[in-house]
Amino acid sequence: MTIWWLALILAFLAAAGLAFVWLAVRIGGTQGGSPSKVSLSGSAADAAKEDVEHIFNDEFREELRNRGRLHFEKIIGENAMFLQQDLRLTTSQLNEYMKTEITKKLKEEFDKYEQSIMDAKQLAIDAIEKTNAAVDEQRKRLGEELQNEVREQKLHLIKHFEENMADVVNHYVLSAIGNQIDLTDQLEYILAELEANKEAIVEDISNGA
Amino acid sequence: MEREAGAFVLPPLVVGIADIMRLKRELDALYEYLHQSALRHTPETELKLPKTSRVLDELIKANKLDLLKREQYELVMAQLNAIEQRAPQIHLSFSSDPSSAFIVRIVEWLRQNIHPGVLVQIGLQPTLAAGCVVRTTNKQFDLSLKHHFETARPLLIQKLQDGAAA
Repeated sequence: MTIWWLALILAFLAAAGLAFVWLAVRIGGTQGGSPSKVSLSGSAADAAKEDVEHIFNDEFREELRNRGRLHFEKIIGENAMFLQQDLRLTTSQLNEYMKTEITKKLKEEFDKYEQSIMDAKQLAIDAIEKTNAAVDEQRKRLGEELQNEVREQKLHLIKHFEENMADVVNHYVLSAIGNQIDLTDQLEYILAELEANKEAIVEDISNGA
Repeated sequence: MEREAGAFVLPPLVVGIADIMRLKRELDALYEYLHQSALRHTPETELKLPKTSRVLDELIKANKLDLLKREQYELVMAQLNAIEQRAPQIHLSFSSDPSSAFIVRIVEWLRQNIHPGVLVQIGLQPTLAAGCVVRTTNKQFDLSLKHHFETARPLLIQKLQDGAAA
């Protein structure tokens, strides 16, 4: 709307300028024009002509010209002043408008920029929260897997220990008192064990190949 | 197990197949010496029999043999060949190398209770700690302390659990 007002003012000023120019040209044309072609008869005409020339002599004409020039200059000056005032006003309004518009635009851009920053911040927060959740989930799963692994390993070790307990104890006994165990001392034990398995041994020997 | 009357007796010093083969070689050598002496017509008063091993002495003593008679020599060789081919064999593994007296006791028991002609092969298995492993033709009897621990594993576990609880 303000642009239209500005254009209207400028058009008005241009029209006023053109009007002054046209008036000045018209006035100049009237003063420097050809003598009247009205045909007057005789001396009356000459007398009138003389009176006219007497009244409108060069000095009077010069006076009129000066007055017209001064008037024209005055009008030009006033209009120039008005034009200058209008221009200043327009410039001021234009500056104000530009300032307002630029401020508005900058505010809008800053709002958009702030909104973009807020969106990006929110996205980053969401991404960080998702990452944290994923890391927590992964850590929890790894913890459970580790606990299961440790439990299985423990059970495996216990099972392995129980399965090989006889070897462990035997190895311990062998290392501890192996040098002190004499076969002669074991003779009764061995004979007793042979006696206990006597029937199976006899049966296998009897049925052997 | 009762011994048949008049049956060939293996003394306890004859433990395994290696002793049978050693006896056969010794008897061959003795018979060869007697044969050479007969060919040279050496008088019996001058005949000096080579010194025989303790195992052969025990064999002669146990079976009341007169090896100067050829038929008895042939009888012993036939018995030894039969034992070498058909006698049952038992493999015994101990944690250390057993003494001769120990082996004699074991062989005596086996020939009295299992089979009179059984041959024994002695092995070494240091991981046994105590006891022995008996391997017959088709079976193996683990009479070791290790096997005893394995059969008593529930008791060991129970003791360990009681110790952990305490």
